[in-house]
Amino acid sequence: MSDLASFAVVKADEIVVGSLSGEIDLSNAKELESQIENAVPNTALGMVLDLSELTYLDSSGIRLLLSLAGRLRWRGQDLVLATPPESRCRRVLSLAGIERSVMLETTVDAARARLKDPSA
Amino acid sequence: MSESGDLQDWRSDLIRSIGLGVAYYVAAQLSLRLALVGENITPLWPPTGIALVGFLLRGRRLWPGVAIAAFAVNLPISATPVAAAVTAVGNTLAPLAAATLLLRVGFRPQLDRLRDALAIVFLAALGSTLISATIGATTLVVSGAIRQEQFPGAWSVWWAGDAMGILVVAPFLLTLTTIREHPLPRGWKILEAIALLGVLVGISFLSVVTDLPILFVVFPVLGWAAWRFQQPGAAPAALLVSLFATWAAVEGRGLFGGRSLADEMFTLQMFNAAVAFTSFFFAAVVSERLRSRQALEEAAGELEERVRERTTDLSTANERLAEAQALARLGSWEWDVGSGAVYWSLEMYRIHGLRHDDGPITFESAIELAVHDDQVRIQANVARALEERQEVIPDIEYRIVRPDGSTRTLYGKARAIRSTDGSVKRMVGTVQDLTERRELEREQRIAETLQQALLPERLPQLVGISLAARYVPAEEGSAAGGDWYDVIELPDGGVALVIGDVAGHGTEAASVMGQVRMAVRAFSLEGHAPGVVVGRVHDLLRSLYEGEQMVTMFYLVVDPTTWEATMVNAGHPPPLLLDPGGGATYLESPTGLPVGLNWSLPYEESIAVLRPGAALVLFTDGLIDRRDVQVDEGLERLREAAKDNVEMDIDRLCGMLLDALVPADASDDVAILAARLDPVQERLSLHIPADPARLRSVRRNIGRWLSGHGVPKSDAEDIILASSEACANSIEHAYGPGQGAVDIEAEVAGGEVTIVVRDAGRWRSSRNGDRGRGLPLMEACMDTCTLTRGDAGTEVKMQRRVPRSPSA
Repeated sequence: MSDLASFAVVKADEIVVGSLSGEIDLSNAKELESQIENAVPNTALGMVLDLSELTYLDSSGIRLLLSLAGRLRWRGQDLVLATPPESRCRRVLSLAGIERSVMLETTVDAARARLKDPSA
Repeated sequence: MSESGDLQDWRSDLIRSIGLGVAYYVAAQLSLRLALVGENITPLWPPTGIALVGFLLRGRRLWPGVAIAAFAVNLPISATPVAAAVTAVGNTLAPLAAATLLLRVGFRPQLDRLRDALAIVFLAALGSTLISATIGATTLVVSGAIRQEQFPGAWSVWWAGDAMGILVVAPFLLTLTTIREHPLPRGWKILEAIALLGVLVGISFLSVVTDLPILFVVFPVLGWAAWRFQQPGAAPAALLVSLFATWAAVEGRGLFGGRSLADEMFTLQMFNAAVAFTSFFFAAVVSERLRSRQALEEAAGELEERVRERTTDLSTANERLAEAQALARLGSWEWDVGSGAVYWSLEMYRIHGLRHDDGPITFESAIELAVHDDQVRIQANVARALEERQEVIPDIEYRIVRPDGSTRTLYGKARAIRSTDGSVKRMVGTVQDLTERRELEREQRIAETLQQALLPERLPQLVGISLAARYVPAEEGSAAGGDWYDVIELPDGGVALVIGDVAGHGTEAASVMGQVRMAVRAFSLEGHAPGVVVGRVHDLLRSLYEGEQMVTMFYLVVDPTTWEATMVNAGHPPPLLLDPGGGATYLESPTGLPVGLNWSLPYEESIAVLRPGAALVLFTDGLIDRRDVQVDEGLERLREAAKDNVEMDIDRLCGMLLDALVPADASDDVAILAARLDPVQERLSLHIPADPARLRSVRRNIGRWLSGHGVPKSDAEDIILASSEACANSIEHAYGPGQGAVDIEAEVAGGEVTIVVRDAGRWRSSRNGDRGRGLPLMEACMDTCTLTRGDAGTEVKMQRRVPRSPSA
């Protein structure tokens, strides 16, 4: 495991709350993806991924998030990303146009609420 | 002084000369009473013996005394004064000649050698007296005292008298002068001497006062005296017997009764000669035998003493050999191939875990102790030596299993000894126990390997900071320690330099070092301040090792934008700062306690502002600690060595400092980490292998370079993202895994940043829809983005205008 980034599960009830910190690039994206996916049991409603501690994200990271969202959706689960406005991550996500495919919220609480009621 | 000395000598010579002359005269008067021919020829003439002894003991220069006395003796009995004078000359010349001859042959007055007896008989008694006899008898004839036909008789009596005078009197007098050299008889020996004297006098007296011819009975008694008392007994006895015999002859008693003068004379001379020969020779031979027996005994005693000394030496040498064998863990053995007998030194038994009284060792039982494979090797070596009659047997390292089950590693050396027909008759050899040494070496090898594996494989390539490092393990024999260094590129663009020393040695210290190094890296990458990083390392170590493991470390973060160094010292020597303008100084900062021990205090940070071009040298105490040198002195030596080389290339500097300060047989390991802060370059050039793990370093380097040029953070972040994307594209699309390289060039000019990323591979189109997101991202981050694909490879050129940051 590279020391570049780390993933941790913060809370796990019907919604799994995970946190990504560090930097995601070509060297560690694949490894992180399976780690994150394995953290979500089939019984869970979905996942909130907190990106506030993430300092760097490139196209590999974008691919990771899109791929993760697709796999969870295939299992009938949703992914909501929590990232503060004006953050580095938010800018990259915007530049990559990810809002069209993955739900984005500014805080973990907002993301949890969104997950429970996707239509809201 | 010398004149008075000469005078004294002259006086004492005169006195001795007179004394000798008086003795001569008195003896002559006494012996003349025994005259047989005329009035002046006697059968025994002691004065000649007295003169000889005088000359031998006091020197021949006493001759005038003898000459005058002889003249005085002869004057009244000679026909004319001239005849007396001539006779006196003969009487003086005879003892002078005798003394001269005896001195020439090395005569010893002790008369305890056969050659001395022979010399006094033949040279003195029989030889020299020819002179006095011839001169004396001729004078008698010439002066008319005797008739011409009486000459032979007169000559022979004169000659025999002088000879007897020497033979009988000289040994007795010589014995008297050397009597002190002989031990006085004691106890029974005194009685024996008295008895001897009694018997001798008794027989002699009987033969004089009676007519019984029993004088020959004295011979066994003379033999007794010579055998038991040697010369001191024999000489007086011979004199005594000769005097009695002469008396008897004069009286015509016993043997000498009823004979003519010539017969009587002849008998007496023969008798006296027999007495003299018997006593002197017998005494001399016995003395010689006694002396050689004494010499033999002394030699035997000396030999015995030397044997005793050698035996002591040998047993001391044996004890020392045994001690040396025990110290070296070296045993020796010998194998007699013919009889099969095996000798083992005590150390051999100890090495093999056997007792000396465990029973006899055989070749087979010795070999059975080795592990199976080694048995085969040893047997093969021995068989080859026996078959091919070789003297040289190859050395072998092998293992044995002791009776208690433990395994030992031994090193055997052996040599065959051949008999005259060339076949091997014996083998001798040594066996050394290398177990501890091999274990130590193995342990040390592991520790060193571990240590090297745990240190950074290579230092990162940093823009703005040049790095160099050295790790030198301690000399063989002392185990590798837990020194380490590390360089960590922090997420915010800073660079952390770390150096530390785990207390202890060997594999354990090396493994602790590995853990501490990783902990420092992890806490650093989480973006904590230096004081927090060191504090967390401390907490972690404390909980892992319950406060038992001590580590000193120095942690320093350089901000490449501001050239500020933030540092924390946990009980470690301070780094040396080499300032191009200011020489060499130690970076002073508050020193905290080493990490890992049971205490809890925050680690204090301090800040120093460095200048571009300055260099930092971080090191462990192996560089400054010497057994013979105090710490302060060691620090000063390092400063002295560096102060005139502040601008030296830092890699060379590391080598130079090691050469100058660390002895070849250093007992501690040494780590050095040197960093130089390079002035900001206009152009940036990076060359990296096509490995995704290197992307992080590309981002850090470009980040430091941009901030060095005062590019605002938000602009910098976009440029970093675009550059990293371009590199990732090259790595992902241009090459297969682990091959090729990527070149990055960056330039700031006219308010515009230009980034060019090149690779030498072929651009491969993406294989699924999610890929190919990199290019749009790059385009979104930069003002322009041009992709050029060719046979030589792919080039991405990107540009972005940047505002000047307020600080630049």
